[in-house]
Amino acid sequence: MTKLFGVAAEFASPDAVRTAAEDLRQSGFRAFEAYTPYPVEGLDRIIHPGPKPLLPLLMFAAAVLGAAWGYWIQYWGEALNYPINVGGRPYNSWPAFMVGTFEFMLLVTIAAGFVGMLAASGLPRLYHPIFEAKAFERASRDRFVLCLEAADPLFDATAVRSRFERLGAERIDEVRA
Amino acid sequence: MAMTLTSELPADAPIVGPEVTLTTLSEEVSSRVLMSRTPLWWWIGFGISVALLLVLVVQMAVLFIVGIGVWGVNIPVAWGLAIAEYVWWIALASGGTIVSALFFLTRSPWRSATNRIAESMLLSAAPCAGLMPIMHLGRPGLFYWLFPYSNVMGVWPQVRSPLWWDFICLLCYILMSIMYYYAGILPDLATVRDLASTRAKKIFYGILALGWRGSVAEWQNQRIVYAIMSAIMAPMVISVHSVVGLDFAAGLTPGWHDTQFPPYFFFGAVISGTALIVMLTILVRWGYSLQDLLTEYHFNAMAKVMLVGSLMLAYAYVWEAFGPLYTSDVAERTEFFHRAFGFTAPLFWSEKILTVVVPQLLWFPAVRRNQLLLLLISGGVIIGMWQERVVFTTASLEHNYMPSYWGYYFPTLWDWATLAGTIGLFLTLFFLFLRFAPIISLAEVREIIEEEKSK
Repeated sequence: MTKLFGVAAEFASPDAVRTAAEDLRQSGFRAFEAYTPYPVEGLDRIIHPGPKPLLPLLMFAAAVLGAAWGYWIQYWGEALNYPINVGGRPYNSWPAFMVGTFEFMLLVTIAAGFVGMLAASGLPRLYHPIFEAKAFERASRDRFVLCLEAADPLFDATAVRSRFERLGAERIDEVRA
Repeated sequence: MAMTLTSELPADAPIVGPEVTLTTLSEEVSSRVLMSRTPLWWWIGFGISVALLLVLVVQMAVLFIVGIGVWGVNIPVAWGLAIAEYVWWIALASGGTIVSALFFLTRSPWRSATNRIAESMLLSAAPCAGLMPIMHLGRPGLFYWLFPYSNVMGVWPQVRSPLWWDFICLLCYILMSIMYYYAGILPDLATVRDLASTRAKKIFYGILALGWRGSVAEWQNQRIVYAIMSAIMAPMVISVHSVVGLDFAAGLTPGWHDTQFPPYFFFGAVISGTALIVMLTILVRWGYSLQDLLTEYHFNAMAKVMLVGSLMLAYAYVWEAFGPLYTSDVAERTEFFHRAFGFTAPLFWSEKILTVVVPQLLWFPAVRRNQLLLLLISGGVIIGMWQERVVFTTASLEHNYMPSYWGYYFPTLWDWATLAGTIGLFLTLFFLFLRFAPIISLAEVREIIEEEKSK
């Protein structure tokens, strides 16, 4: 017998999924996740109430590093490795280096944000058990799916099923791992 | 007048049509991507675009074999249509970023349905801009010498030159735009993947979507990064176009050596970029019959942005005249008279009419509501901006300091082929975006629909 990944339930409205998630949280469940077609207001505070990912901090660090890198490339080229005297201008002419520094800073920041966003979400991950759930089919369109995972210590497939039914789920699936 | 003023759209006018729901939205937009039979107009448009693209290929082959003498550029006018069009294309591209990033930050609801069109336009126009300076290099094969990489020659690019700033800006701009676009389109690709019916399409969009599931954690990360990206792209686009302005401002040529150039160029980007978005939005809306998603609300808002752009540009034009007339610099004044009343006068005055006088019609709500008029006005603005770039690029070089050094610039057939060819490149890329990527930002319009419902 294959192991269960969890039980997924499909809800018709953002309010329904919010209520259901709130109910699970208050009953002591921890390992559950919602799949929605757009970010539902307030759902993140119920499902991931912990500290937020450090993406802004990562992007800030990348900005500092990118600026340093950009300046260093120009300084090294113009003042150390291949100094050219143009009209007696200083080799380390920092005002002229500002554009390059600025652009490198932004490029590295965006790149760090992009890669960080994927890494923090565990992407790319082309396969995930939730894709097998019938209920998931419309989660990227117009339905709101809540999945209680088997990893939760309080998990019990039949009890969860009846709980979802009580919360007004339109379709309930057991998701194989 | 009272009648037109009261026919202004009410503040709570619907942003999307009332019959659009979450279900129909995704299916409508995805079906444009997943349809098995491509509409005839797409094939016709794409065919014309590819034909124009072939013109570019031929033109580039001739240019690279014969040299840039095939263009009308010579001494004294060494910068001709190609450089003017570089500025023109980068302005059109910038418009996409302005609408997408700046209006994301201000939470303008009309931006959601149009931002994908704007970004597709940006990604199609930026390569056209990038090609221009490379074609203009005497030895285009060596353009990579501009990269700051440690080479065995031990030679570094001269980073104190504004032309290098320009190169690095454009390079970073294109790379950043691709990442910005992809971060925004990722959830929509997942929708297309889930709706795909054939195996090939499922695999294609499955790989593109990177396994996006739309979980709360993913949305959290995507939203926060996308917001910061927008906050970065907004100053970025201003810097890119300002640096293009600096290329000219840093030159001592009369008419170019002016501190107003960076903002002046940016104002031009606002109006011409928005104009192109208006044109493309009207055409996409008509071609894909997206009347419910792109409503009067959107055109009303975009027309107002265009109007503001034209007013800002008018300010720059006043300053463009005031500087040379007030200064004691004879060369500066002579150059301005040449520009306004000499050889380039027809271009100069028609450009002012097209970019500043005609857009004043947008004050009237009736004009903002009329798609045909909007199409004509924005087409005029784009042509006017092209003229403007050509005038300031060539007129200054035609009348430099010494009268013995004066000359004229006439574009050759190959100059026109360059213009036609890059338009072909732009349209080809845009048609591909139109066919293979969801052209409306689904995730964001869904939020608009929910907000409308609760209104």
